[in-house]
Amino acid sequence: MTPLIGLEGVTKIYPLGRTQVTALRGIDLTIHAGEYLAIMGPSGSGKSTLMNILGCLDVPTEGSYQLRGNDVGALSDNDLSRLRNREIGFVFQTFNLLPRANALQNVALPLVYAGVHAREREERAGAALALVGLAERRRHRPNELSGGERQRVAIARALVVQPSLILADEPTGNLDSQTGLEIMEALERAGGEGRTIILVTHEEEIAERAHRILRLRDGRLVSDQPTRRA
Amino acid sequence: MSLWEALRHAGSALLAHRLRSALTMLGTVVGVLAVVSVVSITQGLNRYVSQQLLSTGSHVFSFSQFGMITDREQFFEALKRRPLRLSDAEYLADRLTTAEVVVPTVSRQEDVEWRGRRAKGVQVQGLGAGYEALGDFQSLDAGRHISAEEIRGANRAVLLGWEVADQLFAGIDPVGQRLRIGRESFWVVGVLSRRGRVFGMSRDNLVVIPVTTLQKLHGRQQSITILIQAAGPEAYQPCQEEAELLLKLRRGLKPWEEPDFGKETAETLYALYDKLTGVFFLGMIAIVGLSVVIGGIVMMNIMLVAVSERTREIGICKAIGARRRDILLQFLVEAAALSGSGALIGVLLGALVAWVVQAATPLPTRVAGWSVFGSLSLALCVGLTSGLYPAQRAARLSPVDALHHEK
Repeated sequence: MTPLIGLEGVTKIYPLGRTQVTALRGIDLTIHAGEYLAIMGPSGSGKSTLMNILGCLDVPTEGSYQLRGNDVGALSDNDLSRLRNREIGFVFQTFNLLPRANALQNVALPLVYAGVHAREREERAGAALALVGLAERRRHRPNELSGGERQRVAIARALVVQPSLILADEPTGNLDSQTGLEIMEALERAGGEGRTIILVTHEEEIAERAHRILRLRDGRLVSDQPTRRA
Repeated sequence: MSLWEALRHAGSALLAHRLRSALTMLGTVVGVLAVVSVVSITQGLNRYVSQQLLSTGSHVFSFSQFGMITDREQFFEALKRRPLRLSDAEYLADRLTTAEVVVPTVSRQEDVEWRGRRAKGVQVQGLGAGYEALGDFQSLDAGRHISAEEIRGANRAVLLGWEVADQLFAGIDPVGQRLRIGRESFWVVGVLSRRGRVFGMSRDNLVVIPVTTLQKLHGRQQSITILIQAAGPEAYQPCQEEAELLLKLRRGLKPWEEPDFGKETAETLYALYDKLTGVFFLGMIAIVGLSVVIGGIVMMNIMLVAVSERTREIGICKAIGARRRDILLQFLVEAAALSGSGALIGVLLGALVAWVVQAATPLPTRVAGWSVFGSLSLALCVGLTSGLYPAQRAARLSPVDALHHEK
């Protein structure tokens, strides 16, 4: 079976003033559909950069990134946007919801950019909200929701386009441990339909929930092991 | 996203910062309001002047020693000219083919008295035979016109203007009564119908006597004015040309020489008015148009601030799949909505001003369609242009950088 994701010799170099920063060095990685991974590493190890590249928010300086057969490095700005829109769902540590829109509108946003009509958008967004148990809160704005509820809205938004890949960057970072657990359960339920989940976290307990842990240090992949859960 | 949805989004973005949006729109509102008001009032004024001038008899033009004087130099030049005489009028009357009637006239001001009642500063207009064909003098409320024999005989017959009759006789039939004009005694033969006011001044404060009588009583030195009524609207221009040529010949000028007399028509009066005011009005409209442009510059600055404030938001949208085009469109629509709303409010306020002017003054002020269309278009163009740069800045943000922005 062809892998969903293939990284070969991926290197990322940023200009910083008069010098350069090498955030990633020669990353080789293969991920199949339906896998559940965690990425760990200290600050500056390059895990955010790796997430950005996996999420098509950035392109590698060297090497190749194949996503579902697409060579991401060869894609135009517009094509990258479309790819993100169709294939990838993001969940951020700081939730990143639009403050002036209600829950339903936030969840429906990816569909807006996909060109879906209003009625269908409302249906699908409503269904996604129901999946995370927030159907009655659909008209509430983010400032009227608790942290856990906001993250659940973010998860619903990530799911609404039926992506093949969910990327979660420290999803429980701004939540207490109890809520954090609830969020992880919601995420894992979302992944249950053959979706690939890639998680960045600094908490071992959260990472141990995944099936595979990648550890980065100084921009290199130093470890790639299955967990006890696998 | 359909245009309608984009507009709704723009609306919610503008409403989120109500005060800021209002202040940004202010420039456009004031500019458009000014353009619409100024144009409407100007056109109302022009219409008013035109109407007033036309009301004084449309196919009549006149020759006089002075004509239309616009500066001191012209005045002193005109003083040197030979005056016009009754015989000149007769000369024209005999030879003109395109005129309905040629009427010589001279006026002066006198007080008119009857049985102790006095009308002060009445215009005493001496007219020649055939005057009743002139539009202004046709209609009577009572009695009859002064006859041609009475004019030939320089009789003491007088036709009262409506206001004089009202002032002195108030309800009593003036016909047949004897009154005094200045120190002389006259018999009333009739009363003219009411004419109304021009530029706020009454046109009924006059009396008509034979021009021959006036000259007999007060001398022949005063230059006369020759009133000519053309034989119909098509004859108006040809009659002027013919009369001017004849009068030149009469006074010993060659046809190609400049006339040594003045001509007045309703058009020349309006043309003078237009000349005096035209440049002024154009200048005003240009200045108020400028304020719309200034409003646009303000808008651009505000939008740049808005883009900067919403960097995080833009990053989120891009991460979710918004293309550059989507972001560009979003901000352009906001700019258009801002300037469009401002323009609409400006138009409404301008219409209100026009309505108030129309209700409170004699000026027939109406909102000119082209000023609405023009200022709306200008505001929209300025809005889109001002919004373009900020919108492009927003669209070009890298999602990674935008997402990590402060806020």
